[in-house]
Amino acid sequence: MEFHRILVPVAGTKADEGAIELACSLAKRKNKSKIFAVHVIPVERSLPLDAEIKPEIGRAEDILSQAENIAQERGCAVETDILQAREVGPAIIDEATEREIDLILMGVTYKKHYGQFCLGDILPYVLKNAPCRVILDHQIDI
Amino acid sequence: MYIIIVGGGRLGYYLTRALLDEGHEVLVIEKDATFSQIINNELGSVSLHGDGCEAATLEAAGSGRADIFITVTGDDEDNLIACQLAKHKFNVPRTIARVRNPQHEKVFKKLGIDATVSTTNLILEHIKHELPSHPLMHLLDIQEKGLEVVEVKIPPGSTTIGKQIKELPLPADSILSLIIRKEGKPTVPTNSSVIQAEDQIIAVTSPESEDELRAALIGE
Repeated sequence: MEFHRILVPVAGTKADEGAIELACSLAKRKNKSKIFAVHVIPVERSLPLDAEIKPEIGRAEDILSQAENIAQERGCAVETDILQAREVGPAIIDEATEREIDLILMGVTYKKHYGQFCLGDILPYVLKNAPCRVILDHQIDI
Repeated sequence: MYIIIVGGGRLGYYLTRALLDEGHEVLVIEKDATFSQIINNELGSVSLHGDGCEAATLEAAGSGRADIFITVTGDDEDNLIACQLAKHKFNVPRTIARVRNPQHEKVFKKLGIDATVSTTNLILEHIKHELPSHPLMHLLDIQEKGLEVVEVKIPPGSTTIGKQIKELPLPADSILSLIIRKEGKPTVPTNSSVIQAEDQIIAVTSPESEDELRAALIGE
């Protein structure tokens, strides 16, 4: 299976590294594949959507530059972008649609909520609404 | 403009859609999680699940930066409380409430709600417009000034037909602004303008002088 345009949403968790690595190895199979790494900053309703939230933007830049470094080490180029949205899930879907993405690749950690395994809100939303294939990358050691 | 709407029923939904089409930033606060989800699925992330009568929900909605706060739930009490919270706690400059029971309109106004919309009164005005026995119709309320813009239709057979405006006993706080003749020609009334059958007269008046104005214009 070949993917030409891969979107990797990164959130600054330990799972990001594995997701970028997997995206690089999938992209290498097809030389012209492009990888897009995005970080979504959720903006509270008390602020306008285009508000400049400096600490969040600084953190997003760090997360994305780390993603770029990981990809560079594996000989791949990554196009990065910071998005601001009210909700993360719809922002990822909009981005995938706009960029005509054919694979969304997301790193996941095994989260527990009140002792139960929980995927959170974002992953189920993406799985339900994605206009393309979705790969969830769960790494055993994190 | 940032507009918050409380109530995501049919009215709230279509209002949101219309305001979004006009390019406004809109948020709907809806108590029912299913309705809230439906709005989010259909219109994007524009709905917040919560009770619009709770300060915490209005805080989360960013009411502090809202330009207009509109309540369109089916309960007058909820609409009043939500508007009052928005007005007095979050200093929203303009609050608009839907009123189901027309008798509540005065209470809403006394309690500081900037504008009220009563569907009962709106329908009643349309009925009045269609019936020759009700020649006066409200066009606009200028609530903060205690004035209203009304339209008076001169019925055929009215005793004022052929009289000049200066001859009519108009109330002191009423001004005639426009006369639209039967053939559709608008003119600005002067003291010597003559009343003709089926004229539509647009006037500014106070609610107290409404009956006196109608009587002066149609000659009751």
